[in-house]
Amino acid sequence: MTPSRSVVVLLVATTIFTATALASGFQLNEHGARAMAQAGAFAARAYDGSAMYFNPAGLGFQTRASVLAGVTLISPSSSFFGPVQLNSNAQYDQAKLLFTPINGYIVYPVIDRLTVGVAVNNQYGLGTEWTPSTWPGRYLNQKIDLKSFFFTPTASYRITDQLSIGAGFVYATGNVKLNRQVAISSVQTPEPVTVTMDLSGHGMGFSGGLLYKITPEFSVGASYRSKVQIDASGSATFAPNYAALALPQGDVSTSITLPANGFFGVAYMPTPDIELEADYQYIGWSVYKELKFDFKANGSSSVSPKNYEDSYILRFGGQYTMAPWHFRAGYLFDHSPVKTEFVEPLLPDASRDGFNIGLGYDLNEHWSFDVAYFFLQFQTRKAENTDPSIAFDGTYKTYANLFGLNIEFKF
Amino acid sequence: MKPLRHLVVLVVVFATALYIGCSNTPPSGPVTGLGGVTVNKYVAIGDSYAAGYQSNALYQSGQMYSYPTLIAQQLKAAGANLGTFEQPFYSDPGNPDPKTGKAARYEIISFVGPVIGPPGLTPGAPANLTLARPYDDLGVPGAVVFDFLDRTSFLAKAGPPRDNPFFLLVLRSSAFGGSILDQARLLSPNVVTFWLGGNDVLGYATSGGVSPSAPTPVATFGFLYSQALDSLRAALPNAKIIVGSVANVDGLPFFTTIGPKVAAALGAKSAALGVPIYLRYQKHGNAGVAFDSTRLTEANPPMILLTGSPYASLIGTASGAWYANNGYPGLPPGIDTTKPFGVHPQNPWPDALVLDVDEQNTTLAAVNGFNNVIMTAAAAHGAYVVDFNTFWNNLRQNGLFTSGQKFTTDYISGGFFSLDGVHPSSRGYAVLANQFIKVMNEKLGMGVPYVDVTTIPGIPAPISKIQDASGIPYIPHEAFADFQWLFGGGR
Repeated sequence: MTPSRSVVVLLVATTIFTATALASGFQLNEHGARAMAQAGAFAARAYDGSAMYFNPAGLGFQTRASVLAGVTLISPSSSFFGPVQLNSNAQYDQAKLLFTPINGYIVYPVIDRLTVGVAVNNQYGLGTEWTPSTWPGRYLNQKIDLKSFFFTPTASYRITDQLSIGAGFVYATGNVKLNRQVAISSVQTPEPVTVTMDLSGHGMGFSGGLLYKITPEFSVGASYRSKVQIDASGSATFAPNYAALALPQGDVSTSITLPANGFFGVAYMPTPDIELEADYQYIGWSVYKELKFDFKANGSSSVSPKNYEDSYILRFGGQYTMAPWHFRAGYLFDHSPVKTEFVEPLLPDASRDGFNIGLGYDLNEHWSFDVAYFFLQFQTRKAENTDPSIAFDGTYKTYANLFGLNIEFKF
Repeated sequence: MKPLRHLVVLVVVFATALYIGCSNTPPSGPVTGLGGVTVNKYVAIGDSYAAGYQSNALYQSGQMYSYPTLIAQQLKAAGANLGTFEQPFYSDPGNPDPKTGKAARYEIISFVGPVIGPPGLTPGAPANLTLARPYDDLGVPGAVVFDFLDRTSFLAKAGPPRDNPFFLLVLRSSAFGGSILDQARLLSPNVVTFWLGGNDVLGYATSGGVSPSAPTPVATFGFLYSQALDSLRAALPNAKIIVGSVANVDGLPFFTTIGPKVAAALGAKSAALGVPIYLRYQKHGNAGVAFDSTRLTEANPPMILLTGSPYASLIGTASGAWYANNGYPGLPPGIDTTKPFGVHPQNPWPDALVLDVDEQNTTLAAVNGFNNVIMTAAAAHGAYVVDFNTFWNNLRQNGLFTSGQKFTTDYISGGFFSLDGVHPSSRGYAVLANQFIKVMNEKLGMGVPYVDVTTIPGIPAPISKIQDASGIPYIPHEAFADFQWLFGGGR
């Protein structure tokens, strides 16, 4: 297989995956199996294409053109026990869903010290579906599917052999599909009234970063990704037909601001074979105050308060190289941005511990394969005194298995 | 390519691990049970609310969701061995209107308007007459506190002046006991809900302060209520007794629906003519020309009653419809129906269709007085209280969310009330049942599951034509014939 043909195969393979997933809030941080296997502690090294997510300055140290592509398989399992409002401790489960966010990166050194690249990945996503469809929370959420694609053209300049800076332009598209039963509290309808909303939109932002290799043993990295406001519009369709007469059928719009992120990492390499890193990631979730849909037909709005708080993730990871093999492991703690009184079935969020392992294999000087496994254990989340608009208390228990696979070709 | 084969093996191992994980084991949570309370008989004592009266009638598909029925169902779910909770069912579409002989039940005839009223159906019939013991649901529509101990024959109460057929329907034969108390005693319940007292003020308020011309005096109410609880406690020394307090009428759409719409109409008319238009209405106790004026926009305006619905559209026209419809032999002195109705001093809005500020104060004083009596008497008799006055104030001000459904006190769209604007809908009754269950759980240490209100049916409607129903509701005047005997008279 010639290099040029294999590149085409990789790109085609990655674009057929759909993207939807689950992370703290509804963020995704799994954008490459190498970083993922090290719990995402990567900002101080950023040695592959996923630097365009973790720290764009990492590109400046990459002097070979490369194509990196991969997919993460995410299989969450979530149960709700309650609701307390019914004096119930009954169990309801989320449907078993498999999400497959993708990542793809092209890195190209233009001239000495200047490397450019482009990244595509799914930085936010959410999918929730509760069973059975008659469950007591059915008016709060039935099925949501939120996808986003982030395109990040990036450039990085290596100022000295130790210091690099980088910046990127972010173009994001978002799509949300929401299917829920409409609570008509007054009259009885022969069958449940449902609404299906499908909205799409886009937004822009930027990224920037700095990577400083202080000594051969120590390096530090810091990066920033701006918030991205996605203005989306689409349609709301009510069923059955008779209900559509009284409800705001037609155009609907919303605006969602995705939070800014800051990464700060410190890496220690006691020997050329061993790399250890600790990172702090800050997430400016407090921009997410409410989810509001505006219906054009009658000028009405549906508003759900969210009132997220700023949040953080602590990441610890490392790798041990025994050529051609790389052994990786990591641990992370991800703090939930959702306050107790706003925990809801739409996104049963909780702080969580993540345990990561992974393996890399360099087939030859061109091809590398990397896998990562990530077990995410959510803390038991009690929803108590939930906001009157939710009024659905109980206990959420969640865990998730994530599996990442990446293939890299270096020219 | 041996290393590659190892990689494949690893991929398979990891993929398998995707589907293996710890299971989500149940956490500790609410425990369902009776908390050691013995429950093998539950009896409900009350009025039309306890009977499950809805949309101006008693009918089986509504009675099935009376709050006592739902409480009994939830007690059973918690482990109580209650057997069938027996009720005086009236087959659909329910009892007849005494004047027309047709079913009295209101239905949404059209969302355009909207038009509400009895569609002229053949009435149903009592469906559980042969039960050889008293009913467990002893809610008698129209009952006042006095009726609890009163041994007047049920047949006599069906005649003038009470004209209330429901004592005969619910209590049937004095062989089961000559009073509500006697029949309850015969059943020897361990749990009793006792919610009477509403009609002691509603008769006054729903008639615009006309019939009766005053609520039951607080002193009288206090005497009757204490006597009632004395007797109930003496009859059932060990029963858990839960009583309900009385809510003020400003939480009932019967009192709050028409006024704002008439105010809007008057405002529009004023703007069009460039002069302020006032509603002239008869003062309390005055069927003649003595009037007060209102634009209905001031704070605490007079309440225009739902019974004013058929007359709201006549405001400003030369109309004597009120007098014609109510069989006045002649017009009261000074009234001239050739003058614009409701705006001219000589043809004012009738006293019976408005609860003016004085009448509202009288009503509120009665409600507060009754509730003081209820709290004191309950404490003295080891009974627990559901504070419905607080509940209703909260419902009126904030609405009520349950699992994503929002209820308000708005007419029709609010969902909580049935079409008569006084009685809850099935969902409203489910919410009330949960208020009783809350007291059982919090005060008696029981673990009774609450009713999932989202599983209770809403108001029946002509579904093919669901539309926005924000206009002035039109309810034909004949449809209100029952209010007189339901709430009024006979004390």
